[in-house]
Amino acid sequence: MKGPIKKILVYVDGSEESINASMYAIALSKSTGASVTALYVINTRALNDLVKARIFLQEEEVEYHQDLEQDAERYLNHVRKLAEQKKVDIETISKSGTIHREIKAEIKEKEFDLLILGGVSSIRSRRDEFFNETDRAMRSVTCPVLVVRDEDLVWDIFESS
Amino acid sequence: MGFLELLNKNLIKVPLENTSKNDVLEELVNMIAAEGKLNNKDLALQDVLNREILGSTGLERGIAVPHAKTAAVDDMVMAVGIAPKGIDFEALDGEPSSLFFMILASPNQAGAHIEVLSDIAKVTRSAAICRLMLAAVNAEEIIELFEE
Repeated sequence: MKGPIKKILVYVDGSEESINASMYAIALSKSTGASVTALYVINTRALNDLVKARIFLQEEEVEYHQDLEQDAERYLNHVRKLAEQKKVDIETISKSGTIHREIKAEIKEKEFDLLILGGVSSIRSRRDEFFNETDRAMRSVTCPVLVVRDEDLVWDIFESS
Repeated sequence: MGFLELLNKNLIKVPLENTSKNDVLEELVNMIAAEGKLNNKDLALQDVLNREILGSTGLERGIAVPHAKTAAVDDMVMAVGIAPKGIDFEALDGEPSSLFFMILASPNQAGAHIEVLSDIAKVTRSAAICRLMLAAVNAEEIIELFEE
């Protein structure tokens, strides 16, 4: 394996952008030989915050937590199938916590050298409240970050890989 | 999809016309329906009312976040309503509610639904933002407030 990229982490949250990012990561893994890992984080921090703010009742927290666990399984399965299509081995991990912190911790612990993200929020406000978890991950991780854009291009790259 | 992406001038009402809890909920649902975002208005309203039966979404400091997971929407939608004089929404602190953020999300949008509710919780922590929202005279001022 040559080049600077040996271990790729792609963050999957179920959005179309994150699925595109996964496809790009799989294509990149195939062409570089780098290993690829897909991470889904169940946002238990936000769930706890919503209960504390009393926006959620306890029973809603339980219900939405189950929904997120099912989402994690569904989307990581989908990414595994995409990797199988291209005969690329992929590791999938589901964690719980604050999304950007879990991404950061995973990168540090397993020494990933590239984080691939599906997108960051558009700049419509300077207010800090609107930095989403992907923005925060991009700003705080220690390794290089690649933000995937242009769905059509990603499909072309994935199909031809 | 976050709070800013859902903020839509046509889904902001300043001031709300109604003064009772159920009428305000219906007014917000009607606004969403008028924007063509609902495939079943009655179901949306019923799901919102069912959530209120479990416990009022009227919080503290005049803020209310009525929300529901409902098959009446394909994509998550948010309506904002301002009632400067406040209405009795059976809020947790017993005070009248003035700022309403209604979120309707489809059952398969749990992650995005939580993200937007979390954005609302962050935004409404600021007393200054709440005051500025209450002082707004039209939807454009609300949009400007968040996009500045």
